[in-house]
Formats: sequence, C-alpha cells, structure tokens
Amino acid sequence: MNKNDLIIRIGGEGGEGIISVGDMITQACARAGLDVYTFKTFPAEIKGGYAMYQVRASTEPVYNQGDIFDVLCVFNGEAYELNKARLKPGNAFVYDSPGDFEPVIPEGVFAYPIPMTKTAKELNNPRAKNMVAMGALSILFNIPEAALREVIDTKFKRRGDAVVQGNLTAFERGRELALALKKTDPWIIGTPKESKRDVIVMSGNNAIGLGALIAGLEFFAAYPITPATEIAIYVSKHLPKRGGTLIQAEDEIAAISQVLGASYAGKKSMTSTSGPGLSLMSEMLGMAFMSETPCVVADVQRGGPSTGLPTKHEQSDLFLAVHGAHGDSGRIVLSVENVHDCIGLTVTAFNLAEKYQCPVILLSDGSLAFSTQSVPYPNPDDYPTVDRLRWDGQGEYHRYELTESGISPMADPGTPNGMHIATGLEHNPAGMPSYTGENHEIMQGKRFRKLNTVVNDMPPAEVDGEGAADVGVIAWGSTIGVVREALQRLRAEGIKVKGFYPKLLNPLPVQQFEDFGATCKRIVLPEVNFQGQLAHFVRAETTLRPVSYTICSGMPFTPEMIVNRVKEMLA
Amino acid sequence: MNAPVELKERFHQVELEPKDYRDGVASFWCPGCGHNGVLTSLLRALSEIGVDPQNLVSISGIGCSSRLPYFVRSYKMHTLHGRAGPVATGAQLARPDLAVVVTGGDGDGFSIGGGHMPHMARKNVNMTYILMDNHVYGLTKGQASPTSQRVMKAATTPYGGLEEPLDPILYMLTYGATFVGQAFAGNVKLASQLIKEGMEHKGFAFINLLSHCPSFNEIDTAKTFKSSCEQLDVGHDVTDVSVAIQVVQQAKKDGRMPTGLLYKVQRPTLDERMAELVQRVGGHKDYDLRKVIDLARP
Repeated sequence: MNKNDLIIRIGGEGGEGIISVGDMITQACARAGLDVYTFKTFPAEIKGGYAMYQVRASTEPVYNQGDIFDVLCVFNGEAYELNKARLKPGNAFVYDSPGDFEPVIPEGVFAYPIPMTKTAKELNNPRAKNMVAMGALSILFNIPEAALREVIDTKFKRRGDAVVQGNLTAFERGRELALALKKTDPWIIGTPKESKRDVIVMSGNNAIGLGALIAGLEFFAAYPITPATEIAIYVSKHLPKRGGTLIQAEDEIAAISQVLGASYAGKKSMTSTSGPGLSLMSEMLGMAFMSETPCVVADVQRGGPSTGLPTKHEQSDLFLAVHGAHGDSGRIVLSVENVHDCIGLTVTAFNLAEKYQCPVILLSDGSLAFSTQSVPYPNPDDYPTVDRLRWDGQGEYHRYELTESGISPMADPGTPNGMHIATGLEHNPAGMPSYTGENHEIMQGKRFRKLNTVVNDMPPAEVDGEGAADVGVIAWGSTIGVVREALQRLRAEGIKVKGFYPKLLNPLPVQQFEDFGATCKRIVLPEVNFQGQLAHFVRAETTLRPVSYTICSGMPFTPEMIVNRVKEMLA
Repeated sequence: MNAPVELKERFHQVELEPKDYRDGVASFWCPGCGHNGVLTSLLRALSEIGVDPQNLVSISGIGCSSRLPYFVRSYKMHTLHGRAGPVATGAQLARPDLAVVVTGGDGDGFSIGGGHMPHMARKNVNMTYILMDNHVYGLTKGQASPTSQRVMKAATTPYGGLEEPLDPILYMLTYGATFVGQAFAGNVKLASQLIKEGMEHKGFAFINLLSHCPSFNEIDTAKTFKSSCEQLDVGHDVTDVSVAIQVVQQAKKDGRMPTGLLYKVQRPTLDERMAELVQRVGGHKDYDLRKVIDLARP
C-alpha cells in the first residue's frame, strides 16, 4: 500500500549521524518531488544526549510535523526507551540489533532488526552506522534510491572518492540486509505526482537570512544565541557576497545599537536573537521608535522565562515583542507560519520598517528554526522592496516634520543641508529637545499615527473555510500549520470549522478579527505558552472572547490535539 | 557597502572657523564646567581638519557630556546611556566614508557602557572616542563614578566611597586601542591637538580629557587637575604599549597624570578588514542572489 503521507522518526545519540540521515532522506524526497517537512529535537549540550529527526514526506502539501510517526528507527537504547511508549499497532519499527538494548515488540508493531553497529564495524567504517540504517530504510519504505545515492555523493564528495565509496558501500549493505527481511508492514512512501518541481529545501532560520538578503539587507549585527544563531551564520556566509557589512556584537544591546547606528547612516539593517536577547534590546527598541529609526529584529522564540528551555519550542515572546519597552513605545510585530513565510515576511518586515521608520519584530519559533521544508523556488524579483522616504533637498529640513501620515523624510549623513539629530529625548519637529506637555502629545500622536495604516500594507489575515462555523480556530506562528490539517480532518467528519491565521500581530487587525468572529459560534485559540498571550490581546482589543488553549511542553501542538479540543467544545 | 572613500579625503575640503562648527543651541553646562573646554577644543580641531560638517557624525550617550552633539554642526545621534560606542560602531562600519566622533562621560563609558569599550578598541573601529572624564555623575547631581577618587564624598557616598577608581587610559592601552592620549580639558591647545591627531589617525582613537565638575566634585577641581597633569617627555616612545603602561603606572604612584600622546600604532581597521573580506569573496551589490538560492536546491 502506498501511503501518500509518511512520517519517519529517527532517534539516537547526538553525533551518530542522525541529523545527516534525516537531512539526506529529506533532500532525496524533495528531489524526487515530494513535499517535505522535518522536525528535530536535540539536547542543549554539545556532545551526546538524545537527538531526534523526523521527516514527513507527502505527495500532498504538508503543513506541520504530524501527529506521530508511522516508522520509528532507533540507533540505541536511549532512543528506544524515549519512544517505546509511542509505538502503536501498525507502526513499523527499525532498530539496531544486536545493540545496547533488547526491545519488547508490542503486538501489531512490525519489527525489523538491522545490525547497524555490527555491519559498520565489519566494514571497518563504524561511523557509517547511519548509512547502513539509511540503506535499510530505503528498501523497506521505498525512499527514492537514485536520489539518495546522488545526495550521498553530493554530501561526501568534497571529502574524496574513498569517503563517498565507503558510505555507498555501507548504504548498499543496509539495503541487502533489509532485502533479506520479509516486509510485513504496509508503509511505502508515495509516488510524487510531478517528479520535477522547482523547489528549495531550507530551515526557518536560513529562510529568514535569505528573506533579509532579498529585502536588500546591507548591515547585520548579532550575538550568538540558541535557537537563532543559524540566521547569523547564514547571513555571515552570504551577505559579504552582496557587498554588505556585518559584525558579531559583544552582546545583544550592542547588536541592536549597531543596527540603529547603521540604519541612521542610511543602511537597511537587522539583528536576530531569541527571547533573552530581545529582553536586552528593549530599551534600544524604544529609542528606535522615539528616534524613528528603521530596524528589523528577528526573534526566534524559545522556552522561557529566563534561560528556560533553550532548545525547545515555545510561542511566548508575544507580550515582550508588543510591549517590551518603557514608556509608550510602538512597534510592528509580524509572525511567520512556515519556511515560506520566513522568506516572504522577512521581506515585508524590512519594507514596513523602511516605510514607517520604526522597529519591526519578526517572530519565529524554536521548531520552525530547525524545521526544513520544501518550498517553491523563490524568485528574488517577485518580492517588491521598499526604501525609506528620503528628503528631496527642498526648503529647510526638519527631520520630524509633522505630516498627515506621520511619516517624515529621512536624510542620510552626507546629504547637503540635511544635518539633524536623531535623539531619544522628546523633541520638536526639528529634533530639538522639548519637554512641554503639548509637544509630547503632538509627537506621540505623530509616531503612533504612522501605525494606523500598517494593516493596509499586509494582505488580510487568511480565513480558512467559508460560511458559518460551529467552532473557529485562531492561530499564530507555526501552530497555524497544525490547525490547517486539524480543520481538514474535522471537515472530513462533517464538522463546521473555520480558521483565522493573522500574521500581523501588532497593530492587531481588529476589524478582521471581528469579521471572523461574527461567523463563528465559538472560538478557540491554541498557542504554545502558559498565559495565552495572543488570547489576552484579542480579549483586550476586540469583542471576541476566545477560549484559550495553551500548552508549554516544549513541543508544538499536533493536529490530533486540535481535533480533540474542537470536539470537546462541541460535546 | 559604500565605496571605501578614504576618510582623509574628507578632510581639508572646507575652510571653516571653529565657530562655524558651533550649532546655535545654547550650552546647558554650568558656568565654569570643564566640558566647555572640551567643546572649544573639539571645534578648534574640526576647523584645523577642515571636515565638512555634513560628513561628520557626532554621537553620544547620556550624561552632561553627552549633550555635546547638540552644540556641534554635524549629523548627530543622542542615544542611550552607555550605548554611544556600539551605535557609533554601526554607523562607522556602515559608512566608512564618514568621520565619526563619540563623546561621553566616565559613567557612560566605563560604568554602564563598560562592556562595549574593549570591543571598539580591539576591533579598531575607525573613530574617535572622547571621554569627558570628570570623576563624577553630574546630570544626576553628584554620585560616585567609576573614576571618582575613593575619598570623594558624594550624594551616594556621604561618608566617602568604598571603591578604588579605574583608570580609563590603562584600560584602553590594554584593550588594544591604537591611539591613546590624555589632556586636561582646560588645556585647549593640547586637547585640540590630540583630538585633531586622533581624528586623523586611522583606527580607534581614545582621548581622555580630564574635565572638572564645579558643581558636584569638590576634590577634582580645575586647579588640582592642572597641577597633577604632567606632560609626557618629548622623547616618549608612542609605539610601545608597555612603555605607555609603565609611564601611566609610575605617574599614578607619584600622584600625577601623564598628558599628551601616550600610544599610537597602525593596525588594519575593522572597516578595512570588512572591505578586504568583501573583495576576497567577490562581493558586490549586484551579486546574483539566485546563486545563493541555488545552494538550497535539494
């Protein structure tokens, strides 16, 4: 039986090549024309510890990591112990045998013992244990063999023919071992409808880096932090090719400060961080709003508070992103659903920062950071980019000139007659300090007035479904992808459901929420944080009264969880 | 990235008097404040360098001294307490064709902003940092600063302080600044000379100007600063950091403060190294992004 949508989970010790196998299967499936969505967990420590890589490959669009695996492949006892409770009748179970554990095979589970460690040792290539496993998986589940061979070649060729050959030999041995077993389970990866689609496979973090390059990034500063570091790594590699400038800052305060300095100097500038870094940036983000200096901050959320769960998934920086600064301080907050968004919404973030001369915070999250997904090849010319309004040199220049939109032209240093001060002190339209109550009210009005039209610069939040619904689901971030699938399943059961997927979270598109709410009898808002942060804002700013459904287990929701919650609401 | 216009090409382009670099905003410093000497010295140096004000960026943090950019005709930023350095780093690196000057106080630079100082120095950011060191917090009306003498009685140290002061000069020599000088702010001749040389220097120039606070520091007065300052020997070797450190430490033992140019060496600046890197990877703004995107094909 072909299964058009197959989920393979591979678990073992960090350093055993789990990630490599997962990556190669992902690449091969994408090459063969399947849609892929991967999910990984790894320890906060550098060496050892449990690593897990899950590949979901489908002939249909994949929106999330899925409920649970169909196929479990474990390299060691720890991975077995951590996953054995999830083995259900019907699953296929591939494991290292003889290994450091003796699994108990639950009834109904199709078991395939493969001597991974032993075979690799016999081949005098103990590091190729993962290739033995991959060979076995390719036979058992029909993972495109030719594509896998190409991927092995691509991955190892810079280390020489001998290494390529060694890995191919181990891969081949794995295939032979699996061929000798009788296949009893029904799982076979689906055959893609169109074999050659023009796609790229990227992680969320890399995609944010790419989006920034497409947007015209010129200056980047950041401080290393999990799980956002890969954005800096990607940008460090590719921004110099575009002639851009980058700096590794001594801390996040310096990073956002450098970004402001570069932006004042006329360059499109960005930093990337996670919650702890965003906390440190709060004061300077207030300055960016006050001095009307464009800047983009990508915040890849992780488990908090404090040091929290640094490698785990959470959507808990929304309060901080929206309100994290002293005084009345505005900013634009966007949130991404998937890798595709990480490219496009990063461009939008730059465009909004440039247009409105204010900070734009782009929220991603821990699972999206490392999730690799196949997305259509992005043509850079398809993304319109916006440059800040610059002074035309006519008349006397007032940096903070009062305008109807609140937007005043900027002048880069070096512009004749454009000299001005960018200041965090309250100032008059000319930029001179002014502490009168009247001026403060006028200038706050000017700065906040700019944000009134942001909603018009974004496509309306997507409404998933039509007509009236018994339950409406509002979701943000990568939870959206989970909800999409849950709603498909609920509809298949004849349940009337609708989804609402805002990506502009501040200023909140209130009318869009109201319009959606008017079509739903009840509303549930699942999010991965303890307090129900978006639900809080929705209650505060709209007449909607969503039921808050929160988890903070360090893992994303599954479609099944949403399905069950909706059904509970209808019971 | 902007074409690497040599900063020096920005100099001697205009002939302006020191007063022409003075913005119209009235100074808000107290009568007799040492900071007036810093401003006078800076304006004189700018005039001698002949930098076009529109190519000058003056950046500060928070404190009495950090109001200085308001009084200078230039592009300018008045930023947050302690953050002038990294803001200026960003501006300089983004636009190496601009002349960037940072001014700030001892608390701004070496207390709240202390974490940034080593990195501007070791990275050799091509800009000039003028520390207006009055050994006290003035804007908050007289508290002990990291350079306050321990015996100074201040609002938060009514019985005298508990902590030893740090010496900004020693730190900057150790952190790897490529230009380090010190002067009494009242000695406009020397102070302006150092600022001029610092701005002409390619690299991170740090100039400590001892500036008396007549309102809140009763022990470091113009008179005591003036009498304890001791100009360096004519034959002082400015290229040897250990000599510079020794001179400062010996002077400290003698209760004196060495003034003049302590240290000056050449090392590639951060923006030069960045430009070299861009060149090495064949970078240019029209580089086809598709080549980058193609790397993500499965």
